[in-house]
Amino acid sequence: MNDLTNPVEVLGIDAGGTMTDTFFVRADGTFVVGKAQSDVDEANAVLTSSVDALAHWDTTPEEVFPQMVTCVFSGTAMLNRVVGRKGLRTGLIVSKGFEDFHRMGRAIQCYLGYAFEDRLHLNTHRYDEPLAHIHDTRGVTERVDSKGGVVIPVRLHEAREAARELVEQGCKAIVISFLSSYLNGTHERAVRDVCLEVIKEMGSNIPVFASVDYYPVRKETHRTNTTLLEAYAAEPSRKILANLSQRMKDVGAKYDVRVMASHGGTISWKAKELARTLVSGPIGGVMGSRYLAEQLGYENVACSDIGGTSFDMALIVKGKVSMHQDGDCARLVLSLPLVSMDTIGAGAGSFVRIDPYSNSLKLGPDSAGYRVGTCWPAGGVDTVSVTDCHIILGYLNPDNFLGGILELDVPRAKQCVKEQIADPLGMSLEDAAAGVIELLDLSLRQHLRAMISAKGYSPSDFVCFSYGGGGPVHAYGYTMGLGFKETIVPAWAAGFSAFGCATADFEYRYDKSTDIGITKDSTTAEKQEAVNTLGACWKELADKVMEEFKINGFTEDDVTLTPGYRMQYLGQLNDLEMSSPLSDIGSPEDWDKLVATFDETYGRVYADAARSPELGFGVTAAIMRGSVETKKPSIPSEPDAGPNPPAEAVIGERPFYYGRKWVTAKLYKMESLLPGNRITGPAVIESDATTYVIPTGFETWLDGHRLFHLIEV
Amino acid sequence: MSTYTKKQVSDLVKGTLDWDTVHLMLSMPKDEARYKLYMEVLQENVSYDDKIILAVGPHLNIVESSKDQEIIIKCDCGHEFGHYSKNWKLNALIYVRDNVEKMKEVYPELMAPDTNWQVYREYYCPSCGIMHDVEAPTPWYPVMHDIQPDLKTFFEWLDMPAPAKI
Ligand SMILES: [Zn+2]
Repeated sequence: MNDLTNPVEVLGIDAGGTMTDTFFVRADGTFVVGKAQSDVDEANAVLTSSVDALAHWDTTPEEVFPQMVTCVFSGTAMLNRVVGRKGLRTGLIVSKGFEDFHRMGRAIQCYLGYAFEDRLHLNTHRYDEPLAHIHDTRGVTERVDSKGGVVIPVRLHEAREAARELVEQGCKAIVISFLSSYLNGTHERAVRDVCLEVIKEMGSNIPVFASVDYYPVRKETHRTNTTLLEAYAAEPSRKILANLSQRMKDVGAKYDVRVMASHGGTISWKAKELARTLVSGPIGGVMGSRYLAEQLGYENVACSDIGGTSFDMALIVKGKVSMHQDGDCARLVLSLPLVSMDTIGAGAGSFVRIDPYSNSLKLGPDSAGYRVGTCWPAGGVDTVSVTDCHIILGYLNPDNFLGGILELDVPRAKQCVKEQIADPLGMSLEDAAAGVIELLDLSLRQHLRAMISAKGYSPSDFVCFSYGGGGPVHAYGYTMGLGFKETIVPAWAAGFSAFGCATADFEYRYDKSTDIGITKDSTTAEKQEAVNTLGACWKELADKVMEEFKINGFTEDDVTLTPGYRMQYLGQLNDLEMSSPLSDIGSPEDWDKLVATFDETYGRVYADAARSPELGFGVTAAIMRGSVETKKPSIPSEPDAGPNPPAEAVIGERPFYYGRKWVTAKLYKMESLLPGNRITGPAVIESDATTYVIPTGFETWLDGHRLFHLIEV
Repeated sequence: MSTYTKKQVSDLVKGTLDWDTVHLMLSMPKDEARYKLYMEVLQENVSYDDKIILAVGPHLNIVESSKDQEIIIKCDCGHEFGHYSKNWKLNALIYVRDNVEKMKEVYPELMAPDTNWQVYREYYCPSCGIMHDVEAPTPWYPVMHDIQPDLKTFFEWLDMPAPAKI
């Protein structure tokens, strides 16, 4: 039923490769999660998933959509388009003589995204097809030097010829990217205007993208890739999102759909720079963690998301998520600020094999993905996966796998594990399967520990959030013995990314490279000039931010602008991203304030003794973030119902293999458990979307926010 | 351990196997059936009956002669290059590109090596004319002997009976 005193306000969507999750939240924080198989037509999958979710409340999209105030989308379609090289045919115009740099991928692109062994293994190095083919690439004579001065004026007649050829050849968009254009964009802009003229003369209307209008940052391979993506991959997405938006409006929606972007904010689907939404899925979880942490008062959080194919980790330190300036994605270096995450290619669906040389277990690097494992014959997989082991050992319920969508063949899984793993190792079926789980847990645990200690922290400073479809199954295993303050499993772990998207700010972020350097010998006039340069960059970026918000009908009064900068000690390689202590700068004294903030932060992130103010200070980038108020999901808050689970939550028992023996695990229904309920292992808590495993030696309790706390006893 | 179909191995030889599978093959321990499948695929590509033991080039194999069980090197067309322990190149037709004119046939002017420093030596089959190899040595350098497999150890590794005359 539709309750008007407690309306459904927020919708988060995570359209993944296999499943499309929707997450609806009412004003009081109660929520439902919907699932549907992903579809080429994303709008279809979203609506099917919405129907599935809202059925839990006996209501429908037609009833709910008109009352909703916000909707955030994240999806993998754009990424898949890039990975599968199924984008728009795009022509590329570069500085003459540099036609090949795009396909050379800075040499790094031949092994980006590889497992460590393959990076070392030269035979596996390989360049993916470039986004713009060499035959669709043209050079135009021009040159701007590293200070922004014009060395060779641009030959516009060459640009005219290039544009004509590219259009004739059938290119559907043109990208222009010249060397050092981030310092002086006049050549790119002149060529852009010529291209537009030629396109018009030819009776065409294909779009033109000058890198300086989009990503005015140093490193031409990064900048060119990113601008190319804008044409190649984002243009088609714009159409899909327009369709999604329209389909929702047809059902009565009045909100504007926003999309999760790589910097951790959400942007409108109408945004000019839609390529920023290329990486979105795993970021949702980190944003959700940050929001939960802020609401519940946790300062430091280790986020862990385990899906079928990968394990993603991120750290929130003092409420802040750290950012990568030049992220990479889909084996492309990009000029996109990216929430920094560590990913390893091992997940709940990883394949398991025996290494014939060491006669030991080997996980991955490939995984069964949506094909699950040998337990699902229809999936066509003959190699054992981690999921097969879970099924055999009683971790997962074969009769209710993914809510019973798939029919599993347990005897087949047993036979495969016996033949492929247990017999070659001379072990019993159970011990072999348990060995697989232990190996995965051990490997995840080591990576989690390494990520935290590599940044100079200890797990005891952190609370660990565990989510994703596989998080609750493994939470005990990969946190055991690490010494986290606490391990928390949200009851909506499987829809956590969708939830996280809904918690992200409506925020644009623009960056511009700068070359500002001030030493202790610099004069006041030089400091003044530095301040002027940075101030002008902020102004330019703020205008871009405002331009985007105006598309959605916001005015300057609605927007909160937060300037930032990346600073480093001159001569060092690593810079740090800072929020500016000042909203605007004008005097040489302001420079000292920027420096003081950096110096203090550097001492905190590394060590006071590592500070090197004697080198002087440089600003490598200006950053501007602008955000407007949005409705965010409330965290549920329910009264304590005591430690004993209600009778309807107890759904039976199942044999469960743990610690080298079969034990009897009690089974609970997650949705029926109440705050305060305390459950001692061995126990398995099931819901349609996920399974939460509490083995012997662990217990868990549910708090009033529907967060499970996992405790080693 | 992974297993592959004969079709996949055949595609690998032809160079048409999808990259994801090739990558997996490169990254994972070699599958047990590979040698057998690989030799079957090579054998199907040639018209002679002599048993192929190992490939030394895209159209050149080490075979066990059906005549006298000697281990020899043989072109796909059937031309025999002699015993496998000797350098087959010495029995090939050799074309040397050692001046500007000859280099211009394969590379644009000024983009080829100076032939006083480096020449190209091309090795062709005397029967069918297929090119088996190209060397790029300094002009005076002896004919290179590229590969001398230790077949006895190789068959021990494979854990298979070795041909009688290796
Ligand atoms: Zn021949």
